[in-house]
Amino acid sequence: MKRVLLLLLSWAWLIASDLTLEIVKEVGAKPAVVIEDATLSVDGRIDRKLFKLLVGDLEVSAHFNVDHTKNLANFSDAVDYLKYKEKDFLIRYRLYYDDLGKLNLEANAYNIKSGIKLFNKNYRISDNDRFAFLAHHLIYDFNKAVGYDDVSFLKSFVIFSKYTAPKRADIVISDYTLTYQKTVVHGGLNLFPKWADKQHRTFYYTQIKDKPTLYLVDIYKGTRQKILSSEGMLVCSDVSQDGTKLLLTMAPNMQPDIYLYDRFTRNLQRITRYPGIDVNGNFVENGQKVVFVSDRLGYPTIFAKRIGSRAVQRVVYHGRNNSACSTFGDYVVYSSRETDNAFGRNTFNLYLVSTTSDYIRRLTANGVNIFPRFAPDGETILYIKEYGRQSGLGLIRLKYNKSYLYPLSIGKIQSIDW
Amino acid sequence: MRKAVFYTLCVAALLLSGCAKKSVEIVAPGGEANAKPTTEVSEGEGIKTIGETEEQMSEEARLKKMKMIESEAKKIYFDFDKYNIRADQVPNVDYDAKLFNLEDAKEFKIKVEGNCDEWGSDEYNYALGLKRAKSVKEALAARGVDPNRMSIISYGESNPVCTEHTKECWAKNRRVEFELMP
Repeated sequence: MKRVLLLLLSWAWLIASDLTLEIVKEVGAKPAVVIEDATLSVDGRIDRKLFKLLVGDLEVSAHFNVDHTKNLANFSDAVDYLKYKEKDFLIRYRLYYDDLGKLNLEANAYNIKSGIKLFNKNYRISDNDRFAFLAHHLIYDFNKAVGYDDVSFLKSFVIFSKYTAPKRADIVISDYTLTYQKTVVHGGLNLFPKWADKQHRTFYYTQIKDKPTLYLVDIYKGTRQKILSSEGMLVCSDVSQDGTKLLLTMAPNMQPDIYLYDRFTRNLQRITRYPGIDVNGNFVENGQKVVFVSDRLGYPTIFAKRIGSRAVQRVVYHGRNNSACSTFGDYVVYSSRETDNAFGRNTFNLYLVSTTSDYIRRLTANGVNIFPRFAPDGETILYIKEYGRQSGLGLIRLKYNKSYLYPLSIGKIQSIDW
Repeated sequence: MRKAVFYTLCVAALLLSGCAKKSVEIVAPGGEANAKPTTEVSEGEGIKTIGETEEQMSEEARLKKMKMIESEAKKIYFDFDKYNIRADQVPNVDYDAKLFNLEDAKEFKIKVEGNCDEWGSDEYNYALGLKRAKSVKEALAARGVDPNRMSIISYGESNPVCTEHTKECWAKNRRVEFELMP
């Protein structure tokens, strides 16, 4: 009997932890949170945007039922527990400028049911353009204080390349909502930025001039270092966990293949040898294996190859056109073209599979959804959503089956990383 | 007569010696101050002609010729998601091969540029553009164009010639075109 119970429990645990299964949590089960604004002396435009960001961050964290009403209060007043008796948590905040003219966000978080103050925190930025990160930090801390899963993706930098004109693309750093944007590389055709370290201080990107060249940029020093150049094509597709190895798509003989490059020994090892197209290599299984896109079946789909071995294994058995993928642990998210229309609009959807199970989970329902990228938490996916010549960032919270969209007002996104 | 000549010479000698004495100039210290003030007229001095040398002028003519040949080259169009050369595009490849093999064109290098339509912005699309460029390079080489003159590059979807959302427009963007280089 004990064994049966143990078996059932392990099965339930496996099911619950498999992100390829769609598990929608009950909305009613989530705690309700309400926000009070006690700002007095800051530009109303910034205050309105900040409130919107706080609501958005709480929604995206997917842990709460968020009340979108903006309640006003005095920061030092006692909490009106009776007014919020239906709620579980209260965040009271105020924006103010300090003596040095820097924007501050002070916040108190309360558990309404227990009457306990969870925290009082003060956040300050030196540059008003980055005010979105005040909201992201507060909601990250709030989730942590309540005891929920890590939502550090809220305060992560996103890096993307956007087309500005023919043969011209800039590289921009932003927050995940695109509220803050700073161009870090401009002039020429600059593509495929990829963070080089976990702290998001350095990134790789490809500049296409006469010959595609891979550079490493330090965003705080403003320095650029040439890593490699290759005929035809050169893209940094993935960086190993320790940052020492890169998976590159290169075409030194005009033939796009996957290469493994060691940053320290500068050793370049060719991983795939196929006369068609092999691109978009991603490390899996602790860097022992590479998942990549290949057209070796006559159409692009996802394959895997152990480094040093000759055998190639098919990973995805669904779809006839799966041209981009990203990995986290054993999970592979890929973009699949659902229609084969040369003369009309096509639909590209995202799917999630695991190398350890047979399930396939569809993550998007319509439109053009491409270039998926896992967040470092492995539970959140960022992707490009295209509509016409415009595009935006889409975000999927896998555990909660929720997705969000943040449009880019000018330009079309070429590629992203976070 | 001899006496007359003798006296004439004596008088002339006296006269000459008298003139020499008169022409002696004694320059006192600081005597330069008495020289006439002189203004150097420098306008127009040292003007140089700026312009192309004959060598440069011939280089410009060469570049002009290069651009003219480049503009005569025909683009090669591809099917959706394909990188093989279509049957209807073979005459264009033949034409380009003849053009690049002309004596006037042989001095120039050829950049074969692969392009894609707007569907997809990922690495696969850039690789597709590269394979298109490679197909055309190989076809030109098979028609006698020196492979060492040719380099290939992919611009993916970054270099559209048409930005409308129509089938005609997408078809125009799925192409290989050429840039000649000195």
